[in-house]
Amino acid sequence: MNAANLSLQLLTGLQIGAIYVMIALGLTLIFGTLGVANFAHGALFMIGAYLGYVVAEATNHWVAFIAVPPAVFLVGIVIERTLVRFFYNRPASDQILVTFGLALVLQELMRWIFGGTNLPYGTPPWATVPVDIGIGYYPPWRLVIVGVTAAAVLGLFLLLRYTRFGLVVRAGMRDPEMLGFLGIDVPKRFTLVFGLGALFAGIAGVIGGPITGVTPDIGMAVLVPSFLVVVIGGMGSLAGAVISGLILGEAVSLSVLIYPPSTQIIVYLIAAVVLLWRPRGLLGVKGVME
Amino acid sequence: MTSNKSRSPKPLSRRAVVRATALAGTAFGACLAAGRGPLGFVRDAWAEKAYPALGNYPIKGSTVKFGFTVPLTGAYTDEGNDEIKAYKLAVKHINEGGGILSTLKPLNLKGQGILGKKVDFVSGDNQTKPDAARENARRMIERDGIIMYSGCSSSAVAVALQYLAQEKGVIYMVGLSHSNDTTGKDRRRYGFREFFDAYMSGVALGPILAKEYGKDRRAFHLTADYTWGHTQYQSMKDATEKQGWKTVKNIMTPLGTKDFSQYLTAVLNSDADVVVLNHYGADMVNSLTQAVRFGMRDKQVNGKHMQIVVPLYSRLMAKGAGAKNIEGILGTVNWNEKLTDAGSKVFVKAFQDVYKEPPSQAAQTAYLQTILYANAVERAGTFYPPEVIKALEGFEYEGFGPGKSTYRASDHQVFKDIYVVRGKAPSKMANQFDLLEIVEQIPRKEVEYDSKLLGGDLGPYIPNKT
Amino acid sequence: MITPFGARSRYREFWIMSGVAAVLAALPWLLTLIGGYTELATPILLWGMFALGFDILLGFTGLLSFGHAAFWGLGGYASGMILLRVSNDLLLAVAAGTVVGGAASALLGYLTLRRRGIYFSILTLAFAEMFYYAALAPLQDWTGGDNGLTGIPAAQLFGIAMKGWPIYAVIAAATFAGIYVARRIARSPYGLILRAIKANETRVASTGIHTRHYKFAAFVISGLYAGLAGALSAAYQTYVPTDALHWTTSGQLVMMAVIGGTGTLFGPMLGAGIVLYLQNVLSATIPQWLLVQGLIFMAFVVFLPGGVVEAGRRLARALSRGRKRQPPVPDAASVKGVGSVHAD
Repeated sequence: MNAANLSLQLLTGLQIGAIYVMIALGLTLIFGTLGVANFAHGALFMIGAYLGYVVAEATNHWVAFIAVPPAVFLVGIVIERTLVRFFYNRPASDQILVTFGLALVLQELMRWIFGGTNLPYGTPPWATVPVDIGIGYYPPWRLVIVGVTAAAVLGLFLLLRYTRFGLVVRAGMRDPEMLGFLGIDVPKRFTLVFGLGALFAGIAGVIGGPITGVTPDIGMAVLVPSFLVVVIGGMGSLAGAVISGLILGEAVSLSVLIYPPSTQIIVYLIAAVVLLWRPRGLLGVKGVME
Repeated sequence: MTSNKSRSPKPLSRRAVVRATALAGTAFGACLAAGRGPLGFVRDAWAEKAYPALGNYPIKGSTVKFGFTVPLTGAYTDEGNDEIKAYKLAVKHINEGGGILSTLKPLNLKGQGILGKKVDFVSGDNQTKPDAARENARRMIERDGIIMYSGCSSSAVAVALQYLAQEKGVIYMVGLSHSNDTTGKDRRRYGFREFFDAYMSGVALGPILAKEYGKDRRAFHLTADYTWGHTQYQSMKDATEKQGWKTVKNIMTPLGTKDFSQYLTAVLNSDADVVVLNHYGADMVNSLTQAVRFGMRDKQVNGKHMQIVVPLYSRLMAKGAGAKNIEGILGTVNWNEKLTDAGSKVFVKAFQDVYKEPPSQAAQTAYLQTILYANAVERAGTFYPPEVIKALEGFEYEGFGPGKSTYRASDHQVFKDIYVVRGKAPSKMANQFDLLEIVEQIPRKEVEYDSKLLGGDLGPYIPNKT
Repeated sequence: MITPFGARSRYREFWIMSGVAAVLAALPWLLTLIGGYTELATPILLWGMFALGFDILLGFTGLLSFGHAAFWGLGGYASGMILLRVSNDLLLAVAAGTVVGGAASALLGYLTLRRRGIYFSILTLAFAEMFYYAALAPLQDWTGGDNGLTGIPAAQLFGIAMKGWPIYAVIAAATFAGIYVARRIARSPYGLILRAIKANETRVASTGIHTRHYKFAAFVISGLYAGLAGALSAAYQTYVPTDALHWTTSGQLVMMAVIGGTGTLFGPMLGAGIVLYLQNVLSATIPQWLLVQGLIFMAFVVFLPGGVVEAGRRLARALSRGRKRQPPVPDAASVKGVGSVHAD
């Protein structure tokens, strides 16, 4: 095992982690601000992948990349306005149940419309030729995933730090009640935040679809690890989501080298250990739902 | 004072328990006595043709029902869809004639149903899961009164259904199952498999791989982690090592894995120059496409061109992976729609006329199994399962596929010639379905093996009722 | 339906249990009337028992666990392995399964109950998935991997083979006993404390009660029920699928509980019947039955969190009271939801 091989495996871990990070960002944003554990987030990812396939087949991948995330953003807004907002005052278990139910319904809806078979969502032609990155050949699309995720993380960071909206969101994550007292239209902000979370899931779906395949059950498959990423990182902590996503991605990748059968379990093991040792997650805010 | 009394819950007195049990018992007995006991449990004492009741035999009425359980969701959905199409076609041909009824020999069917009864069917989605399949089958056996059931695309499902068949006394004609275990250690008297198995694939491929790629190769295996994958890996390992290849490593991947990147990176990190994908269905589509994306077709290792091998092929998978990706890749199939014997041509035409596309090997085995069962019943002159079983055991037939095929009595496995195929270059494709070309037809005696090799015990003709 | 403060009438419990017995006896036949089949009665009872124990945790104590499939599955594997390798005796297998389910739930309960709310739910999910993946890969030689545990021989009880009617009778008897015990628990002061914990745990703790112990006990009780049901299921099916441990199995359990009506003990059992009916009967006629099931589930969560039982109650109230409206009573648990206490 030389350095080049190891770096290749690390790079794969980075790319696996990237998808987790994208989805976890949306999840933690929604949970941190709205306090809702959105079990339907995986379904939003799935919708992004399906829409991505449809648009990419009809036109091309660039159009898909530009058009689909806003579409998923809108879907998120609709979901928040028609369903989720009525559950802010219901117990946490109800919120989980309704979003879980929504996820099932969306999944089956897609199955009804598109069938259960895997849709051949390919990458653009230039991405099918492996590119030499010095340490070996690598599929370009996976590098695109890493790049897009990095850009998205940076974009979110800039949005939250330097815009009015971001300020409100950050304040809302600390104390939504206070925000209301200050005269800010909290419901509208909540809707936008939910939509923003959905947007990220949509981006993840468009770029991740070619990798994960496009079937109705990819939503559920990606939901559980993403939730663990959020919880490990600390609910409500965006930096935590990024870091833990990368850690888990690397863990999955490297575990193949050490003990392959553990590659599925490692995510849960790490989650269990971290949660028991530090219940608020690595970077979570103390007192949140402890 | 009064509040004290009402606070403690009234315990259930012994009298109350006795009364409750008596009530329950009476209700129970009334059900049975009224003859409304479920058909499956209350044994009728009809003695038709001197055969005792068994499973859903004897059949009442003028129609007989088949049950088809196929995966319409899950990793093997494509195959499932094709299977159900083939089943419908088979039932049509049994009832009306046509299809391979014109070519199959020896034939007892007359194209007017079976033993004068029309065939009807029910179907269910087994979701590529063994427990869903079993529940499907139970429902069809109990509620719909099927006399035979068929279908599956996963060997785990096949094995689970075979055990159920043996228990219930209802014959199960295996659909698409490639694992050695189905007619090996998990063989059952009430199960029959026409599709070939991993051992045959391994033995067929080994020499051809050595011829094409040389004898000094190092193979890395990625294997679907369930019964089929395991036996496929084992058979390929044995066959290739016999040719002088070395097996570098084997990694098990869970069935339904979408992203194989960490496994493929591990392959690239090793010194292997062949990667064997013991995957099927959606797994294979994903692993193959991703392997190609990772540059495995262009890589040079040890001065040799890296190669990919897909031991079990199917046209549906090839379509899913895309012609560009499967070009030049070798594998084996049970049957191919380009075969030129009369039976294959008739079947392909019939299928194409109805469904506008050629049948896959999943469709072929589904269709053939149904016809073979129907034919066996006609030959035995009864639906009584043990007699039908005996009619199938040792049955030698021809007229669908090349040469003669035999249903071996010792393990209920069909032996016939099988095919090594190769993916076609996009430029050589005649139409969108023309994805595979036949490299070689492997004669049956080369892939035959002693039934003791894989172990297993068929079990009794009459399911134990003790 | 659960009266915590003593029976309204001396024989009320007797009549309820007799009703239960009658339903259990007639269930197979009743199913055939609605397009089902008699054998469906057995999975309904098995899942019913599973859901019954689960209701003590979710409906009474308010803890949403997504990991109960672990206890059901482990109970099944333990029972299956006993039948396969050790002995044919049903009692031994079921005892083993119940003990294993209880032990696993004790372990998981100890680990997960340190946290509350969403963290608790996700922890249960994480741990349960660990069991699933462990059974799938590293422990394949024991569990049969993706194949599941096949070829389990039929169990024997006092010399009678456990197939067909006999095993249904055994399962029905076990369900009867399970319902009786669950009702006793629910109607006892202990059950009252559980419901208080669900309503407001902090307040209960402030009275000096160690809520953690009660929650733990509820968790283990539900684990025992799950293990028992899983063990019987393995004996009945003569097969244990690995999917029995998957979190979607837990999800299905949750669906059953919610559709039926949490906190009522009978509700989740009814929910089990409804969901299994949908799965096995509806699935044959409507290809999109999963969509229908999801919509029904959502409808209940959104509009009728009390489930079918709540619907029945409202109907009964509407019919009996007619137009007369009760003056609004300030309700301690004014936020009505699945996770709230049902005033009785």
